[in-house]
Amino acid sequence: MKARSAPIVCTLLACWLLTACSQWRYDLGTPLPATDLPQQGMSLAQALDLLGPPQRMSATAAGFVLAWERWHIREDAIGVSLGALGADFLSADWGEMRVRGEFLLLTFDRQHQSTSATRSHWDNYGGGGKAIQPFLGFISVVDAGDLTGPLPQHNWGSSLLQRLPGTLNMVSNPGSGQSGLQQRGTPTAIGQQSLEMD
Amino acid sequence: MKQKALLIALLLGVGLLGACAQFESKRGVEVNWQTAVTDKLTRGESTRANVLALLGPPSQVIALDGETALYYLFEQSQGDGLVLIVYNRMRIDTRYDRAIFFFDEKDILTEYSTRIYAPDEG
Repeated sequence: MKARSAPIVCTLLACWLLTACSQWRYDLGTPLPATDLPQQGMSLAQALDLLGPPQRMSATAAGFVLAWERWHIREDAIGVSLGALGADFLSADWGEMRVRGEFLLLTFDRQHQSTSATRSHWDNYGGGGKAIQPFLGFISVVDAGDLTGPLPQHNWGSSLLQRLPGTLNMVSNPGSGQSGLQQRGTPTAIGQQSLEMD
Repeated sequence: MKQKALLIALLLGVGLLGACAQFESKRGVEVNWQTAVTDKLTRGESTRANVLALLGPPSQVIALDGETALYYLFEQSQGDGLVLIVYNRMRIDTRYDRAIFFFDEKDILTEYSTRIYAPDEG
């Protein structure tokens, strides 16, 4: 019995304590209608009938801009660690992310006529990495956090209660609806949010 | 002997039975823009006060150089996961119920659009 149970115990220990595989799938929004790009001169009413309410909106100097988006994010990671055995002296991790989506942007003048339209589709490698980390795991090899956040409308009421750099830069914040808009994952270290020092 | 059996049973329980998870996250304003409600609105006649009375405070008010837009958003995420220790899978599906209303400089409704997703709608 002793000889038979030892391999089972060892196998279970190896499976349970040494490795783990994680898969995360994020679906944000639904696919956009498969229509041709709206023509210049299309009215706001026609655009709303065709596409529904936009997810993002902002005033512009010449009118306003509306955007519709859909994201699908696939995040895979595998890790090997002895940490659960109390010997957290070494861990090895691998992870990668793929990002698929589409974004449709329409601009309108003050007479509610479309002045421009653009649409993009992408299916890209979104990053990833490998790590061998002794003692403590400092680095997450894959992170989709900046792509999966809530839409900015939720923060509109509290937009003036940010840290001071963010509040002072509110006039340039794309979440305000007054200063343009930006896609998910746009870096904040450069551009109109750089003064917020996030 | 009894201890070994107990150990194996414990490991099997943890390693093979695993766990499952299900969660839901809701944020935003209450969804009051059902068709039965918005049918009471008429483009060119209804006012901003009418919309606010029917739908309540919006998620965002956007000033458009004389015009204004009210944006209502309700965001719902549903997730489910399988946690088997050695293999873990999570899936998170987010839907945006939303409505947008445009008003001219006299606060008259000029355009609007709404969307509410059915639970199983892709």
